[in-house]
Amino acid sequence: MLAIKRTRRLDPDPAFAATFRALAPRLPGSADAALARVRAEGFERFAALGIPTRRDEAWKFTDVARIANRPMRPAAPVELPLERVLPYLLGGPRARRLVFVDGRLQPQWSHTGGLPEGVIVESLARAAETRPVALAEALAGLDDGRSFTALNAAFADSGAWIELPAGVVLDAPLQLLFVATGGEPPVMSHPRCILRLGDGASLSLLETHVGLGEGAALGNAVLQLALGPGARLEHDRLELLGPASALLAKLDGSLAAGARYRQTTVVLGGALVRNEHEVRIDGPGVECLLSGVAVPSRGEEADTFVRIHHRAGGSHSDQFFKSVVEAGGHNAFAGKIIVHKGAQKTNAYQKNDNLLLSDDSEVDTKPELEIYADDVKCSHGATCGELDAAALFYLRARGIGAETARALLIHAFAAEVIGRLGDPTARALAEQRLLARLGGGLDPALAASVIGEAA
Amino acid sequence: MATALETVKDYTGSEYKYGFTTPVEEERFPPGLDEDVVRRLSAIKREPAWLTEWRVAALRRWQTMTLPDWQKPTFPPIDFQAISYYAAPKQKERPKSLDEIDPEIRRTYDKLGIPIREQEILAGVAVDYVFDSVSVATTFKKKLEELGVVFCSISEAVQEHPELVRKYLGSVVPPGDNFFAALNSAVFSDGSFVYVPKGVRCPMELSTYFRINAAGTGQFERTLIIADEGSYVSYLEGCTAPMRDENQLHAAVVELVALDDAEIKYSTVQNWYPGDKDGKGGIYNFVTKRGACRGRRSKISWTQVETGSAITWKYPSCILQGDDSVGEFYSVAVTNNHQQADTGTKMIHIGKRTRSRIVSKGISAGRSDNTYRGLVRILKSAEGARNHTQCDSMLIGEHCGAHTVPYIEVHNRTARCEHEATTSKISEDQLFYCRQRGISEEDAVALIVNGFCREVMNELPMEFAVEARKLLGISLEGSVG
Repeated sequence: MLAIKRTRRLDPDPAFAATFRALAPRLPGSADAALARVRAEGFERFAALGIPTRRDEAWKFTDVARIANRPMRPAAPVELPLERVLPYLLGGPRARRLVFVDGRLQPQWSHTGGLPEGVIVESLARAAETRPVALAEALAGLDDGRSFTALNAAFADSGAWIELPAGVVLDAPLQLLFVATGGEPPVMSHPRCILRLGDGASLSLLETHVGLGEGAALGNAVLQLALGPGARLEHDRLELLGPASALLAKLDGSLAAGARYRQTTVVLGGALVRNEHEVRIDGPGVECLLSGVAVPSRGEEADTFVRIHHRAGGSHSDQFFKSVVEAGGHNAFAGKIIVHKGAQKTNAYQKNDNLLLSDDSEVDTKPELEIYADDVKCSHGATCGELDAAALFYLRARGIGAETARALLIHAFAAEVIGRLGDPTARALAEQRLLARLGGGLDPALAASVIGEAA
Repeated sequence: MATALETVKDYTGSEYKYGFTTPVEEERFPPGLDEDVVRRLSAIKREPAWLTEWRVAALRRWQTMTLPDWQKPTFPPIDFQAISYYAAPKQKERPKSLDEIDPEIRRTYDKLGIPIREQEILAGVAVDYVFDSVSVATTFKKKLEELGVVFCSISEAVQEHPELVRKYLGSVVPPGDNFFAALNSAVFSDGSFVYVPKGVRCPMELSTYFRINAAGTGQFERTLIIADEGSYVSYLEGCTAPMRDENQLHAAVVELVALDDAEIKYSTVQNWYPGDKDGKGGIYNFVTKRGACRGRRSKISWTQVETGSAITWKYPSCILQGDDSVGEFYSVAVTNNHQQADTGTKMIHIGKRTRSRIVSKGISAGRSDNTYRGLVRILKSAEGARNHTQCDSMLIGEHCGAHTVPYIEVHNRTARCEHEATTSKISEDQLFYCRQRGISEEDAVALIVNGFCREVMNELPMEFAVEARKLLGISLEGSVG
């Protein structure tokens, strides 16, 4: 234990190397020399970087080694009945989607028909065949000094290559659904998504990570975004994992002048769910709005890590993250706005509000500013506390039972973020899961009216 | 707008005015640090064996430690063996009265604007002067003695009040706490000691003036303040140093202990030599300051105005142990040219209904970097704890940096924590508004900067507030261009 406390990196469990040796010949694109080399290099990099401990500033609040540094197995094919997946098929009847179970594409539930000309939506395995060189470049192109990104480059098994040429507006949402079934030893999957939007292109993306059952699983996802000038991306993320499964999701994005990126992440369940965002704003007129809510309970941990680089002036970024922490849950937030030299006229905001509902729970927050330009407006705020006694009293005084009043207030707190989900089906699912978590006999109609107001 | 900021440069065109050296004969150790140096130092000071061993243990601990690397300021490696760990004005004996102080030293303090006699009489401030490493004079001692207040140098306290020193020294900042605290524990040469007995409200502000004079030395003072039950004390410290091309190390440790219902107010105006406009020279101000609110309803309040030093790196902290205890931190940090500041506080809430308030104002100009780094930790036991933090940064010019790194860790549901921070520049509207009313640009800038810092300035005792306001202006010299 002392050794763990003192070192910033641990050597990865030897099982990783054995698994990589065994699996490498079967990974997508293994026949392509360039891809195989990038994967091998990724693994070496991972081994050299090691698993971060809490001594590593970026991982100060969560002990990832506990979950990620143990022998895991790649998934075996699983047959799932449709009804188990059905609740998670979002976006309405016109949505296109790719469904993965434990890192394997499920063609029976996936469809990407009727795409406008020039639009590419294909699974990672397919991209490894059609564009191995570009994929190898993309995998090698992201070296952020983070061991799990390197591990993903080595093992990338699922995910997608998505490209919209200039001016294309995709009318229906696109869903990427990742289902983990879990087991013992834990099942690991490594989705890698590459998403490129040309000038003025527009997409609404639903990213859903779902855990089925109680089994342990680790999802290690990497999403590389590039938005061209004036491109728009609506990005709804639902992370609904099982009590024993973990998700480490890294988002690396670059936004060109005038691009608009809106992301809303709702975390409801998961032993450890870590969402990392590194977004670079490279031109003026960019709008980048990141919001999220996490509701960890019963020993669950949610960890949000944000870096927004304003590398050009005249843009706007906003971070709005909330958490409701109860029954031994733990929420961590570490967000940072970096205004680079010369990025004048930047507006950047950051807000982190936490509701702490039990004494065995923990909230850690670290909202950071790093500013190298003088003509900017940057601010941040963070709060932490329990439910407002006056608000509870107000409801009780109007004849609402204690449990319901409590649930109503918590619900209203979370609804501010859930209401930002762009897709109504995603909103409804998040809503339903939240109510199930809260219990307390909250009338869905009452809740819906609150959501309506918040939205 | 450009002209407004140029005016700041013009009107603050004065150089660091405390940069003179005083030609006093001094006694010093050759550079280097080992067990022998520590033992010799301890012997010179005729310390009891337990303290010598305490120092040696700290040295051994220090030898196993490495410099931290998480901080924002960067500096070339420090050669700890090139520093002389003891330098003292040569004097046969400790002066018996103020008249016996070396006239050169007297003149130094006069130049600094604190005529010992005058201050004693007029301001009623009891002052302890630490010149390089040793305390040269303590004024007003007799008057304090009548009330039972002990205010003396720590070396004296070791001789005269060993039981108090032994009980409290290192009890707030243990020798192994951090790299510089360990170094200080091994080699501290002097500093101030205050003990306020039960129920006594110290009738005057106690003050220490620190001065680094000798070249090639470091200053390692140690301050220990104990406020017994129901007592109150307000303590001020000020510091200056000569202008030199080398970087000098100042690694002090300050420990405060407040027992039941006691209150300690600790104010600092730090004006060590900041280096020249190209970043050459200046003091490395690496200080550990920590107060323990041990008693119920005790209160510790830190107020600091940091304008000097090439690098300021310190976090005056409060451990809120007693139920209903209160911790406060008010800070103005101004950096200009190539100065770097990484400062803030830690509030550790342990007792029930403990409260803390943090107000930090950072002003960066020139090519400087100014970081607020703070921790608010609320432990499970801290039922009903409350914290409010506000950090505001102001940037002057486009080559400086302002950073905010707050950590908030909450383990109790009944606790309430709020943190807000903003970053802005001097608003053109505000400047225009002042100009329109006939206020010159230079006065307008001073007005706005002072207004920005007002919340903190209001916490300073009167004499200090005046000095601090002047310092703010001077520190921003040449800040634009």
